[in-house]
Amino acid sequence: MAEVYKLIHPVKHFNDYISLNIRPDGRVFNEHRNIKLNVNSIKTAEASAVVKCGNTTVICGIQLELATPKAEQPDIGFLVTNVELPPLCSSKSKPGPPSDHAQVTSKIVSDILINSKCIDLKDLCIVPDKLAWVLYCDMVCIDNDGSLVDACIMTLITSLKTLSLPSVTYDAETEDIKVDPSVRKKLNVSGTPVATSFAVYKHNQSNIILADPTAYEEEMCGGSGASLIVCYNNGLLCGTHKFGGSNLSADCQDVTLKTAKEKSAIVENVINVCKQDYESNK
Amino acid sequence: MVTDNADLTDFKLKPMKCEFNYLSKSDGSAILSQGETVALVSVNGPQDIKMQSQSIEKSTLEVIFSPKGGKPSVGDRYKENVIRQTSETAILGCLYPRTGITVTIQELEDFGGLLSCSVNCVCLALLNSGVAMRCVFAAVMCAIDDSGNITLDPGAAQLETARAVMNFVFDGRDRSLITGFTEGNFSEDAYREALERCRAASELVFTFYRDIVKKYSNVIG
Amino acid sequence: MNVAIDDVVLPGDHCEEIATAGEKSKVILGPGLRKEIDGVFITKAGVLRKRAPNTFWVDSYQKRYVPARGENVIGIVTQKAGDIFRVEVGGSCSASLSYLSFEGATKKNRPSVKIGDVIYAKMLNASKDMEPELVCVDSHGKKGRLGVLEDGFVFKCSLNLIRKILNPNCPLLGSLKNEWPFELAAGMNGRIWIKAKTMRETVAVGNAILGSEYLSNEEIKSMCTNIASILAGHIS
Repeated sequence: MAEVYKLIHPVKHFNDYISLNIRPDGRVFNEHRNIKLNVNSIKTAEASAVVKCGNTTVICGIQLELATPKAEQPDIGFLVTNVELPPLCSSKSKPGPPSDHAQVTSKIVSDILINSKCIDLKDLCIVPDKLAWVLYCDMVCIDNDGSLVDACIMTLITSLKTLSLPSVTYDAETEDIKVDPSVRKKLNVSGTPVATSFAVYKHNQSNIILADPTAYEEEMCGGSGASLIVCYNNGLLCGTHKFGGSNLSADCQDVTLKTAKEKSAIVENVINVCKQDYESNK
Repeated sequence: MVTDNADLTDFKLKPMKCEFNYLSKSDGSAILSQGETVALVSVNGPQDIKMQSQSIEKSTLEVIFSPKGGKPSVGDRYKENVIRQTSETAILGCLYPRTGITVTIQELEDFGGLLSCSVNCVCLALLNSGVAMRCVFAAVMCAIDDSGNITLDPGAAQLETARAVMNFVFDGRDRSLITGFTEGNFSEDAYREALERCRAASELVFTFYRDIVKKYSNVIG
Repeated sequence: MNVAIDDVVLPGDHCEEIATAGEKSKVILGPGLRKEIDGVFITKAGVLRKRAPNTFWVDSYQKRYVPARGENVIGIVTQKAGDIFRVEVGGSCSASLSYLSFEGATKKNRPSVKIGDVIYAKMLNASKDMEPELVCVDSHGKKGRLGVLEDGFVFKCSLNLIRKILNPNCPLLGSLKNEWPFELAAGMNGRIWIKAKTMRETVAVGNAILGSEYLSNEEIKSMCTNIASILAGHIS
């Protein structure tokens, strides 16, 4: 019966939950889904992590490559991030070239990473003007059930934190490159950028803020692109993104900032525990 | 969150100039310059579109951003997404089901703040096209430098030295936030202050819209 | 922002006056106005107008036609599909015109309409969710001035220009008809059909109409005499 009701009166069905101060999956408004994090799951990648926030699953793998730095900036390396939404992650993704949604998500993720300044690209340079590391960070979404950016950032940062770069010797005269994978240096990551998504729902002329929305909740609040994303790194904001959807009033803004700060502490803790666990078992 | 009103009166935006109906064949068009940054927008619709992109509930909005040169990139997709999501909340698409509205933005000059100039220009072109809208919207940009000073509508030189750049789009009805996106990192207090300043400055843009419509209202009657 | 009658309005403005008038009696909301839960809101940029007792609308600029019931439009027949003709009127989808909705048409006696013909017809039905439907007869089965427009010349213009020249206060058509004879049909979809004796006269009428878009009534009058003198001067 409930399923039929949901089909016939989608908005009223959702409204009924909201007016009872509960969400369709039983959470309260500012409650997050459970986070499961696993590191080094792909043996062929230099570093990898899988994260599961509720049903949303994203896997990230980092590949290393050597390249010559750009002539205009000879002392920095490259960090290339890409988010892929294959057809298996949701019925909305179609096979073929990356959809607009995937491209926009990629752009947001790479923006957050750059703005947080957690990676100093100078660390990736080996010999200025001659040799630098290229970090290919590929994130593949396995199951897209909302709050995609949160999961992408979480798995990306975890992967970067567990990444160690092999030592490279470069002979300036012969231009001979020797890579020694047995001696490794950890990549320096300053802070832990954490993104938190919020769906903004207009209910009786006021805003309801739903933290960590599912795909269904995003759909009811103006589509998957309309969520508010707030990012913290080291207690500083490193990006707020909101594109359309319901309008956000000033007092709700404060609620989101507070919730995002709380969540960033939790996620930071999760990532650190996971990382320590991985390092002690190595 | 109370911002000092005396503080808000001394703000200034770059001079804005606009011309409606710049293109003769599109259903609505506008060219807008904010300082030295110039954008041209054409709106076509509601018109017939192909079957698979029709929606029985509302009009399908298609946004195309064409840069001055070079191949279309991921950055352009992002700009299109910002403009599409923003205009979608403003347009009353439910009045034109199974149709499409195409918005094309042509970058003409970029001396900083192209995206906020484009958003404002899209709003003006939509007003010109006569598409029914729920509200008007205005984009305001600001930059924060290393010492925490907020500059409204920064120029190219200020953008280069800025620690953070923020863009906000406000609703014309109650000045609530429709769209916001930021670059760089900053504190919560700086964010709040910048938001309030931009909110106050958006009033200037809304007044500008009304003046433009006033100017051409004597010929439409 | 709260606005009053004859103010310049932007989408999102609301009008208390309409809401208060609506509490006492019936109010007719024309184009550019929309009722929401908490009041009447403007949806188009332009000037808010009122006609006594309680009709309100927004005068706005528009080029794209959105079909509305009861308007006379000029369309072009694009297809014959069984019992109906498809007519392109400039809206988002083509309108249908039944072959029975012509004066004196029966199942046996079909009207002679060919693909490419220009039709002057009335919108019988124009809902946003349905295909617009045209007729070439009035409710008494008489064709009046509706039907196929033979010969002549069709051009497009903005919807405002049509409203402007059809306004009884506009001197344009009044001045032109005294200068030389011509036939004219104005469709509310931004199309004008004209037929005059010579090509020169047709072009003169067309230019006079297009030129009057941004002119005041006085300027229109002087323009008409100007055009007439040029035309007469060259002919003689």
